[in-house]
Amino acid sequence: MLAFDLLANGLIYGCFYALMAIGLAMIFGVLKIVNFAHGEFFMIGAYTYVLVALKLGVSPWLALPCAAVSGALLGWLVERLLMRPMYQGYASWGFMKDEYAVVVTFGLSLLLINLVDKIVGPYSFRGPPLIDVSRFALGPIMLTGQKAIAAVVSVLLMIGLALFIKRSVWGKQIQAVAQNRLGASLAGIDATRTTSLIFMISGMLAALSGALLAPLVNPSPDIGAFPAVKSYVIVVLGGMGSIWGAMLAALILGVSEAFFSVYISYDYRDAFGLIILVVVLLFRPQGLFGEKGREL
Amino acid sequence: MSLLTIEGLFAHFGGVAAVDNVSFDLRQGEILGLIGPNGSGKTTVLNLLSGFLTPDAGQVRMRDENITGMSADRLAQRGVLRMFQMTRVFTRMSAFDNLLTAGMARGLSESESTRRAHALIEELTLEPVQYLNAGQLSGGQRKLLEFGMCFIEPPLIAMLDEPFAAVHPVMRDVMAKFIRARHAQGFTFLLVSHDMPIIVDLCQRAVCMNAGRVIAAGEIRSVLQNHDVIEAYLGDSETHSGQDHPPALEVH
Amino acid sequence: MKPIHNLWQERLRFDMRAALVIIALIGLLPAVVYGPYALGIILVSVYFAILALGWNLLAGYTGQFSLAPAAFAMIGAYTTALLDHYWQVPLALGIPAAIVVTALFGLMLGKLVLNLSGPYLSLTTLAFAEIARVVIGNSHEFTRGDQGMHVATLTDNRLAYYYIFLFALVVVLACIYWLLKGKLGRFMMAVRDDPVGAESRGINVVRIKMIAFCISCSICGLAGSLYGTFSQLVSPELGLLQQTGLILSMVVIGGMGSLSGAILGGVLIYLGSEWLRGFGDIQMIVFALLVIVFARYIPGGLWGMVAARLQGRRS
Repeated sequence: MLAFDLLANGLIYGCFYALMAIGLAMIFGVLKIVNFAHGEFFMIGAYTYVLVALKLGVSPWLALPCAAVSGALLGWLVERLLMRPMYQGYASWGFMKDEYAVVVTFGLSLLLINLVDKIVGPYSFRGPPLIDVSRFALGPIMLTGQKAIAAVVSVLLMIGLALFIKRSVWGKQIQAVAQNRLGASLAGIDATRTTSLIFMISGMLAALSGALLAPLVNPSPDIGAFPAVKSYVIVVLGGMGSIWGAMLAALILGVSEAFFSVYISYDYRDAFGLIILVVVLLFRPQGLFGEKGREL
Repeated sequence: MSLLTIEGLFAHFGGVAAVDNVSFDLRQGEILGLIGPNGSGKTTVLNLLSGFLTPDAGQVRMRDENITGMSADRLAQRGVLRMFQMTRVFTRMSAFDNLLTAGMARGLSESESTRRAHALIEELTLEPVQYLNAGQLSGGQRKLLEFGMCFIEPPLIAMLDEPFAAVHPVMRDVMAKFIRARHAQGFTFLLVSHDMPIIVDLCQRAVCMNAGRVIAAGEIRSVLQNHDVIEAYLGDSETHSGQDHPPALEVH
Repeated sequence: MKPIHNLWQERLRFDMRAALVIIALIGLLPAVVYGPYALGIILVSVYFAILALGWNLLAGYTGQFSLAPAAFAMIGAYTTALLDHYWQVPLALGIPAAIVVTALFGLMLGKLVLNLSGPYLSLTTLAFAEIARVVIGNSHEFTRGDQGMHVATLTDNRLAYYYIFLFALVVVLACIYWLLKGKLGRFMMAVRDDPVGAESRGINVVRIKMIAFCISCSICGLAGSLYGTFSQLVSPELGLLQQTGLILSMVVIGGMGSLSGAILGGVLIYLGSEWLRGFGDIQMIVFALLVIVFARYIPGGLWGMVAARLQGRRS
């Protein structure tokens, strides 16, 4: 049954999208900025996975954590070198916070794409799958082994993240800083270190999603554009900063994209997400679960 | 004579009435204090009156004109100006340019704005920093600058939102002097503040709000001695039992 | 010497004079380059200078960080191309048509993002740009999709085309200066610094934003249209996000919120990128690094570093 298959595939892709987008939602939740280099974390993760597995001959299962580490490291570096000025009050700024964030992360995105293009080469790689089962049936749906595993790992990671945020000390600190930076630091929480942690988690999750999808999408240096755009749509749809919103929005996007691409237009399926983004920003900028911001 | 008449203002946020049937009037030439504990809705009323929020119900009239829900820039063109709690100046322009821009925004020519800006700089003792970018000024200097920007072209009504919050006492005196001087020239002020001594010092009348409603209005002294007002500020605290008015609200 | 103060009018006037000097120097470049290839390079750098000026008006002066300038160049180019291809509209009408069409789309986009700011605004403009590019690229029946369309040309003489572009640059600069030197320039800077504060002082922020969008987008459309007629080919690649990234880099490095900075950034970055190509294709890496470094440490850009010193005041 086509509809059922579409639904299942849509949900699976939704899980991937959720893994990609959550890091972006977290960063927005804490700093109120969009990281325009988010897609490149995905790309770096994918490349790390592929290169470690292919060139170093390591088992793909070991290459996964390597990708995670590379993402976390990159996230840490970005926060430490580029993001800190925004909230550590470096003197006499020519830029306001928002402008700075856009320019710097956009520049970072260009830098990473072109670095990888130069160092590794512009051609796409074949990512080694985690498991060699190519096709199997799960009830009425056809899946590839990689897709199934990637979906399972994604779900596990998200559950792990949810638990981490809700239960652990660090997770609570993250919640506090996301809600009220000043208040949290007055309460004794090291907001800078917490922000650093958030960037590391964000990078790690994006990188892992890149690694998991590497066998499915064949990474090239500009592969980051597609997860980036999807993530923007999801974060806006779910409500900027809301992690649960992002997860739900990811599933919604995955499913509706699947149906759109089959029933309406395959060519314009990428534009579909963008149109959703524009519509949401126009009519309900707080998304599904976000809060309406009030200044003054 | 009533300059601003506010009738039955309502504003809801997600089910909570932040402003609940608020009515009062602002008379020509007075300094009216808008007081009340935190969260009483004072700033929301200010936002409603200065064009940053549209009321769900109610009317605001300036003399005979209905200005309910008018945008902030149109209100400013009509002489209704507002100062913010978090000082708003144009940080990447010089202080002098800030005044120029404010003047030209109100319709003054560049030469006229320049003339008035020079005068204001002197009055506000901002000469040493007039050519620095406004972002480099101290907090108190920025407040003074914002004052200047409001007054470069005489406003009909100046609404000040916590102008004395976190301000150095010396700066506070300069500002109070500025307000008194303008008041003596016949300007009308709506002053939102927590600083009771200043309110008593500057205001003739006051309106006190609590939980979105007006609980007292009238001469400043009678408002501050009003039982409901005292209770609003202190809640159910037992510290005021047995006294008519605690030291904090004592009127000298 | 009369003391120079940190005043808007003085800064603008100085900026304009410097920009004219720079343009004069650029105008002399054909004397020192040889061959049609090199001429083409400096011509394209002028194309980017125009784009940089256009985007700078919107982002550097009015604070609207649109990520759509390349898309508007593409829309302008395609307007002229489609008119030429289907109705044989002469370029004398086709190029102005591009200006009008992009002005209208610019107004539309401005209306769309009126209540948005910061990342929301950037994301929406990015979505707009990508949607436009995907639509044009996929409309095979109308636009031949990725293969691109052929366009008529004004002249086959490359040198003449160079001066056409230069003339366009001067006209655009003059228009922008004329806009900025009155109240509008101040109000735009006010909107950039603090839209809420600007509105409360009496500035019609909506009008300012719409004007900025309309003019900025039509400048980009003009540049794109001219470029299309020069290369006699338009393709969706004109509107790639990478092109926007290039424009952004040019303005950030050149100096946001200054006329000379935008022109300098456009020309230097493009010429620099061609020069660096010889060193093994590292130009984008270098520029991305420069953008990051400048954004982090030198927010005033090249012009910011130079202007204060030239004007004889301390920054």
